[in-house]
Amino acid sequence: MAVPLAVPPTRMELLKLRQRVGLAQRGNDLLREKMDALVIEFFEVVRRIQEARAKALEQLSVAHRALSMCFAIMGTLETKQASREAKRELQVEISTRHIMGIAVPAVEVEEIERNALMRGYGLHMTSSVLDEASREFERALKLLIGLAELEGSAFAIARELEKTKRRVNALEYILIPRLKEAIKFIVMKLDEMERENFIRLKRIKAMLEERE
Amino acid sequence: MSADRLIKIELSKLNVHLPERRLSLREALSSAKPQVVARDGSVHTFKREELEFLAGLLPEADRDKLQLPILIALEPKLGRGTARISGDAEAKVVSQVLEKELTAVELLIYRPEVAILRRKLPTTTQYLFLW
Amino acid sequence: MGFKIAVVGDQETVTGFALAGATYAHIYTTKEETLGKLGEFLASDEIGLVLITHRVAEELGYDFLWMMQAKRLLPLVLRIPDKTGYVPKVDELREIIKRTVGVEIMIRKEGG
Repeated sequence: MAVPLAVPPTRMELLKLRQRVGLAQRGNDLLREKMDALVIEFFEVVRRIQEARAKALEQLSVAHRALSMCFAIMGTLETKQASREAKRELQVEISTRHIMGIAVPAVEVEEIERNALMRGYGLHMTSSVLDEASREFERALKLLIGLAELEGSAFAIARELEKTKRRVNALEYILIPRLKEAIKFIVMKLDEMERENFIRLKRIKAMLEERE
Repeated sequence: MSADRLIKIELSKLNVHLPERRLSLREALSSAKPQVVARDGSVHTFKREELEFLAGLLPEADRDKLQLPILIALEPKLGRGTARISGDAEAKVVSQVLEKELTAVELLIYRPEVAILRRKLPTTTQYLFLW
Repeated sequence: MGFKIAVVGDQETVTGFALAGATYAHIYTTKEETLGKLGEFLASDEIGLVLITHRVAEELGYDFLWMMQAKRLLPLVLRIPDKTGYVPKVDELREIIKRTVGVEIMIRKEGG
């Protein structure tokens, strides 16, 4: 049961209330459209995440296997040394794009795969297992960057969806019912006053007629 | 009443992500960084592959007519789940993307079609809320 | 805008991504030190992506979750398995999907 608003039962008030219900209803309809659109966007991103995750995690485990091989054959210390000497200035282009006012990340995955020369570890250290491990991790990194973009988008959309849902609920279950109750109350009161007036007038008329 | 003011504020925020001025397909294709600036100052970039895909669907002359982003208009009056695409070139292109016949100047599309459109053209379409 | 990559995790994870070009790295030592380093990474304007293993994220516990809520859009943070392939049982994304599906069902029920 909605808590009724305390308003004076006048026609002016009734008019105001009807306007307010109109506004609230309009707001509610639009926010519902927004919610529906957000749900479409959300599920599309989720669909892409499932594919992207599977591929990325598969590649990551391949990369780890290659690295273990490298540790085993080249030695842990040498491998760590190579990782320190490697050129580690990889850049990713991140910009924002917008879905209905929500900022979501857009990442350009540039060419990450490099050859031994580009990787930077000293030539004296070049060994095929090191190249292999580097290459597999480069591939994994590329896929993970794509995944990060998708997950970032998903969380941002979900947050906005929650916010919008709360507003729709507030309108639909609190404000609009309250306004409608108040309108019912006023209409009832106005009818009552109308009837009382009518009865009073009839009595007066009867009194006047008796006098004559 | 503060509730009313909050509603009006929410409504005013609904379209703030849309650009003041849209870009024609030709302008977008010829720009190194095809983007539009929204009323809230945010910058929205179009993906090149989408621009090229769109170019392939239209005769060259229409590239000036197609305004980006293509607006998917949501209006409660149309009924829930129904959206409208206005604009000749825009309607032409969307009807091709959805493989749907164009019967009037304005194109009405339904929820599952909106989903497909958004999937195929994520950066070159945007939602517009009307009331 | 071009951004760099940071990685937080165990020895193998860090070595692997360093070989792939990640600029910043931190191998897990203690909770406090790692939280501190992570904080630095999150505050940096240079870093666009932080890779962190699930195991380390779990070690950092509630403080990590709080940092995720409080952070700006960038850098992006992605949790990844380490060489053991460990992923936690509770998938944050799946929880969010469940909540969203709740919304979807509500929409359909009311004649959407």
